[in-house]
Amino acid sequence: MSDTLSLQAQPRVEAVRAPSRRRRLSEGARSERRLGWALCSPAAVIMLAVTAYPLAYAVYLSLERYDLRFPRQSHFVGYANYQAVLTSGFWWHDFLVTVVITAASVSIEFILGMVFALMMHRTIVGRNALRTAILIPYGIVTVVAAFSWQYAWTPATGYLAGLLPSSAAPLTNTWQAVGIIILAEVWKTTPFMALLLLAGLALVPNDLLNAAKMDGASAWQRFVRITLPLMKPAILVAVLFRTLDAFRIFDNIYILTQGAHGTGSVSILGYDNLFEALNLGIGSAISVLIFIAVGIIAFVMIRGFGTAVPGSENL
Amino acid sequence: MTRLLRRVRVWGARRLLASVAGLALLSPLLASCGGSAGASSGPVVLNFYNFPDPSGAVQTAANDCSARSHGRYRIIYQKLPTSADGQREQLVRRLAAHDDTMDILGLDVTWEAEFAEAHWIVPWTGRYKQEAERGTLPGPLKTAIWKGQLVAVPYNSNTQLLWYRNDLVPHPPRTWAQMLQVAEHLARQGKPHYIEIQGAQYEGITVWFNTLVASAGGSILNASSTAPRLGRPALKALQIMADLAHSPAADPSLANQQEDQNRLAMEAGTAAFELNYPFVYPSMKADKPQLFKHFKWTLYPRVDPSRLAAVTIGGIDLAISAYSRHRSLAFQAALCLRDRHNQLLAAVEGGLPPTLESIYAHPTKSFVAEYPFYKEIAYELRTASVRPKTPAYQNVSIVISHLLSPPSGIRPRQTLQAMRAQLVNALQDKGLIP
Amino acid sequence: MRRRKLAWGGADLVVLAWVAFPVWWIVALSFKDPSTITDGSFWPTKWTLQNYEGIFKTSQFLLALRNSIGIAVISTVVAVVFASLAAYAIARLRFPGKKVLIGVSLLIAMFPQISLVTPLFNIERVIGLFNTWGGLIIPYIAFGLPFAIYTLAAFFREIPWELEKAAKVDGATPMQAFVRVVAPLAAPGVATSAILVFVVTWNEFLLAISLTSTTASRTVPAALAFFTGASQFQNPIGSIAAAAVIITIPIVFFVLFFQRRIIAGLTSGAVKG
Repeated sequence: MSDTLSLQAQPRVEAVRAPSRRRRLSEGARSERRLGWALCSPAAVIMLAVTAYPLAYAVYLSLERYDLRFPRQSHFVGYANYQAVLTSGFWWHDFLVTVVITAASVSIEFILGMVFALMMHRTIVGRNALRTAILIPYGIVTVVAAFSWQYAWTPATGYLAGLLPSSAAPLTNTWQAVGIIILAEVWKTTPFMALLLLAGLALVPNDLLNAAKMDGASAWQRFVRITLPLMKPAILVAVLFRTLDAFRIFDNIYILTQGAHGTGSVSILGYDNLFEALNLGIGSAISVLIFIAVGIIAFVMIRGFGTAVPGSENL
Repeated sequence: MTRLLRRVRVWGARRLLASVAGLALLSPLLASCGGSAGASSGPVVLNFYNFPDPSGAVQTAANDCSARSHGRYRIIYQKLPTSADGQREQLVRRLAAHDDTMDILGLDVTWEAEFAEAHWIVPWTGRYKQEAERGTLPGPLKTAIWKGQLVAVPYNSNTQLLWYRNDLVPHPPRTWAQMLQVAEHLARQGKPHYIEIQGAQYEGITVWFNTLVASAGGSILNASSTAPRLGRPALKALQIMADLAHSPAADPSLANQQEDQNRLAMEAGTAAFELNYPFVYPSMKADKPQLFKHFKWTLYPRVDPSRLAAVTIGGIDLAISAYSRHRSLAFQAALCLRDRHNQLLAAVEGGLPPTLESIYAHPTKSFVAEYPFYKEIAYELRTASVRPKTPAYQNVSIVISHLLSPPSGIRPRQTLQAMRAQLVNALQDKGLIP
Repeated sequence: MRRRKLAWGGADLVVLAWVAFPVWWIVALSFKDPSTITDGSFWPTKWTLQNYEGIFKTSQFLLALRNSIGIAVISTVVAVVFASLAAYAIARLRFPGKKVLIGVSLLIAMFPQISLVTPLFNIERVIGLFNTWGGLIIPYIAFGLPFAIYTLAAFFREIPWELEKAAKVDGATPMQAFVRVVAPLAAPGVATSAILVFVVTWNEFLLAISLTSTTASRTVPAALAFFTGASQFQNPIGSIAAAAVIITIPIVFFVLFFQRRIIAGLTSGAVKG
């Protein structure tokens, strides 16, 4: 469920707001307000019901010494769990792996996604077939694709592993395995990136490009000088969402390597500490730290680069 | 108005129809949601959580015991996930929530200390204890004891044998050193020569290490499981693992291999030796009849020529949940599930080595036919070693497997030092697990 | 022109191969028989339906399929209905708290789901939702909502609402205006977001392995962990591959028939900032 968040920035053209003309009439404004709340409440209630308590509970647990196996030893320990996590080599290693996977997969996806978007936009052969094909990885269950990659790269069952010299086992080597995880992630999520970029491409006016062509600008110059700057909002939204998503990578690693041989992400580390070690205190501290990291990424990208987010303008 | 409406419809209606049709196609597949309502009358329902048994032997035993109880209880076999970690996760999550719908639990032989210490399972006493112990092999029984109390009853056991191809190796080696020599010799002749063993980063490599340490006369932890012991036997074990990893006898994918990859490599004909559980035997028979003619077995190789190997014991023990509402019936049912009749069934149908002495001492015909290696198994079970018994076993094992895999990364002295330090933390349940 | 066409065709084929490889590989494995499953050959040398027969023979997979379909459909319908209401309000009405709602949705979209598992499990155990359809449906709705709200809000902003007014001017009652004008206009957006939410719930893995414990509620991605080989240590590669192919079919179906809708949904009115 994590890899499909689309983000819609604000259309400049405001929808017609019939009631807004009557804003001064407090009765009308009040009923509009009541209607707004009433319409939003089912969604708000269910979202809060599912997440508010767990979030608070995770924060509370992260301040406790709480191991499921030793329930009687539970007590408040303040920030000791955070200290344990932040001074642990395992956390920083997995953090590095997560950052590498995020950075690499988002940059590769961006380039590949741009290529796909340009192809979908421009191709003169089999446009529909191409669009359909590019959509397939988006829909495929992540776990299914991960199993396929795993079998393909494992010497005993694999086609790809068989192409490598002397039946090497790439999934057992940290950085080769990370490479395969990135490959799986890129394969699965490039369509999402490509579609958001395609939406951006559609906004580049053709006459502007034609005018530049007349002025003698090369294809590359037109792309860099005109297309890219006009696409900037689309690019930022696509990159923001994929970054937030990639940082939480779980399914692919869980199936491909189970985090063995130093390929764990921070989510895998959290999972292992919660469900293998049954150490809810440490595990919750890891979860909260992931949440904070994701929050920082979002904040930097939204404030730093001016990425448009719903709610940021014109509402 | 009508023109307007037509415009609107063209804009959207066709697509809506198409989408709805898609969902409607799926709806007949929807059946009602099945719930598990508690029976109000009739026999007591005992939920038996155990590994998913593909042979059907566990289900048969559950039916059989329900029938034999004459309406006192009905055992429902609830399947756990295939992987041991997945099984433990399911059990622990429910026990931690004081789930009273679990009665009989099939525990891996390494979880007893953890479950008993957390008071999730109850000790066996009185006549249930007597019956559980009667005729049970000492090796498997050791796994079910924690702090002097019997906390479970051995259901099935497991132990590895050395499997080899007698077309390549006419006389099987008795020690690790000999086996490596033979393999290297085969490699020089350009014949299949790999030694198949579990080198992936998981429980299996901990099992390998434990076997080597115990075979060298040592142990991973001290007798009270409060601190690492390791020492020279551990160094010797690490040396053997490193030697194998750096020799031509190592399978190139050693660091990724679990039991099943070992089996497949042996069946593919690239290996000369395989250290594995008896499940490889029926599989070889079915998949590769040609190779099967040369597929032989012997005792696990020794570390020290003058000392018997102490092979790590595996298998399942049955425990009774502390939250069960029908404890005494659950004890009776557990004893029935693992009685001679049902253990024979599990051995013959499911390939699981029994834990009762008498089955090996007075084997039935079908048992001998399915289990031609039963003497070696019984022998190893008598001299078996047990993995460290501590409630923090999971942490201990994770530390070990992370330090040992990939085996080619083992540098005996440094690895030993790191292991000692990390085991101290793991035993105190301090900090993170990797 | 001909050469350009050839070049584009070639490029299309490269993309096609990239997309198809993992899909083909799992299909190939699902049709290999146990003796050849390890041969690593690209094309099955001995075709067999044995793996499919195997998974359909036991109730394990069929029940999981039933759960997957039921849970995904119900979650989708409820999420889309709730999201439509909220999106309409966001797109058309002025009221305080709108930004808060969007902020909360964004927060939920970013939420690391592992931190939810333990608390959700505890709550569901207490109120009896653990290992039921509801136990998965409720969180799925919550996680489908932000996504559906964004898509629909963007879509609703694009709708030519003046048509509604025109209908009223023409003498239609508000009800008629809604049923005959607004609903058909909104339908494509609603259908699109339904497909997208369905894909998300169909895909979900972490909660599915954590909040279920029997075939009463286990979905297919979670059920893959329960498949067994011929014995305890044997990997059920063939069964996993066959089950994987089966749960891919509805996705391929959606992609083939609703390609335009999905693309429109993911990009509709999007990113004009």
